[in-house]
Amino acid sequence: MRSSRWPVVVLAVVTLFALVPFVVMVLVALSPPGAPTLPHALPGSLTLRNFAAVLAAEDFARWTLNTLVYAVVSVAAVLLSASMAAYVFARKRFRGRDLLLWSIVSTLMVPFHAVVVPLLLLVAALGWVDTYWGLVVPTLANAQAVLLLRQFILALPGEVFDAVRVDGAGDWRTYWHVVLPLCRPVLATLGVFVFLWHWNDFLWPLVVTNSTTTRTLTLGLSTMDSGKLGIAELMSAATVTALPCLLVFWLLQRHLAGVISGRGR
Amino acid sequence: MRGKLTTLLFLLPVLVLFGLFRVVPVAGAVGMSLTEHDLGGGWTFTGVANYRDLAGSGTFLTSLRTTLVYVAICVPLTVLVALGTALLLRRVTWARSWFRTALLTPYVTSLVLAGVVWRWLFEPLGVLDHPSLVLPALAVVSVWKGFGYSMLVLFAGLQDVPPDCVDAAKVDGASAWQRLRHVLLPFLRPALFFVVVVETIGAFQVFDTIYVMTGGGPMRASYTLAYAVYDHAFRMFDLGHAAAAGIVLWAVVLLVALTQRRVFERGS
Repeated sequence: MRSSRWPVVVLAVVTLFALVPFVVMVLVALSPPGAPTLPHALPGSLTLRNFAAVLAAEDFARWTLNTLVYAVVSVAAVLLSASMAAYVFARKRFRGRDLLLWSIVSTLMVPFHAVVVPLLLLVAALGWVDTYWGLVVPTLANAQAVLLLRQFILALPGEVFDAVRVDGAGDWRTYWHVVLPLCRPVLATLGVFVFLWHWNDFLWPLVVTNSTTTRTLTLGLSTMDSGKLGIAELMSAATVTALPCLLVFWLLQRHLAGVISGRGR
Repeated sequence: MRGKLTTLLFLLPVLVLFGLFRVVPVAGAVGMSLTEHDLGGGWTFTGVANYRDLAGSGTFLTSLRTTLVYVAICVPLTVLVALGTALLLRRVTWARSWFRTALLTPYVTSLVLAGVVWRWLFEPLGVLDHPSLVLPALAVVSVWKGFGYSMLVLFAGLQDVPPDCVDAAKVDGASAWQRLRHVLLPFLRPALFFVVVVETIGAFQVFDTIYVMTGGGPMRASYTLAYAVYDHAFRMFDLGHAAAAGIVLWAVVLLVALTQRRVFERGS
């Protein structure tokens, strides 16, 4: 077979376009503070001092903790609530089921910008502005999660459900001992995505938090930018912000690609 | 009866979450867009006055046009790069999964991060200070961040093309371009439609990079619709106009999605 080499070359060039910003980010982060660096010049020497400075800054540690809480709590809550609803939507018949599901899915068509002001007023009325509650709870209504889990449960063989019903299991036991274990692969993948969405979220944390104690990393990154920090420290902060996402993705990318492309598994 | 109660209990968390944090805000947004809010906290019903104000506001119309220009640059660029890389990926077996991972890496990072890093990269070029270059520059960031996702969807679509069809076309002497035009693209139509819709809807809502990189400037050259909503609500505290602008954004997104469906359906 005559294999040509130019597709590899072109792909390599596009890969460069995709990866160079990360390389620049890390190189600048490793440059001595104040020294000339990319994109103007290559750094003369490399140092970890900027990372140490950024990690030692009290605010930064707090933002990291907040982001972790925001992401991890959301993953647990979204997976639990969405899988419960998805089980019922996939396996139960009741009046108004399709209308209800359709209503939930149709919220996907509403840009978040269109509802952000009333949502904030609602959160204010609940007394949740600048709290973890306000940050986390309004983001838990995740229509993609309900839809994806429902499709997955629909595709499970019906015999499994018949068998457990014959054994006299009720809905709770079926959900806990059958649905959740069978959904483990899709729950894991979905969990990674919910984690990434929340870790990278910006507009909602921007409007609902206003003090250092509740701010998240992306928000901190955007405010640091205008501040008095040097570019090397800023890029260190950016690197630390990106690292969890990159690690999660590089470790799990085999399992994630299928879901991103919409083919399930 | 117990069964019904259990069903309700299973649905309860999702019902409460969606009811409270999606349905109520949508109703609130429509209501707010029809009222005027004063700083004392009172609301006065003003009908469509907010919309009429927006229609007569040069800033708002500019933001609408800016958004359209941004979408017109961003979407074709993203889809072309995604389609190109997907087609290349299909022809490459060497290090294919490595390429796929590398090309998808920007997708998993945040737009804020993209904004911070690209602002630094653009600095020596000065493109962000130039009113006519700022939108293309922002589009580059968006393509960088987003093309991997579309590439993956299109690549998955290409996997569904039966190899026999491609081989048959090859035997018949079809050129690479003819094979793409008459064999691959027809099979790719659903995937392409999906990608175009998703990228368009995303591009209409561009906000994070604008917030970080330009703040709507220079001279409002990157003052997009989503940024206008934010600006009205959280800088000018003009909630009625912000809500109306948000509804306009929603309407535009819906209209575009429906139009694209029509176009694709007629084409098939």
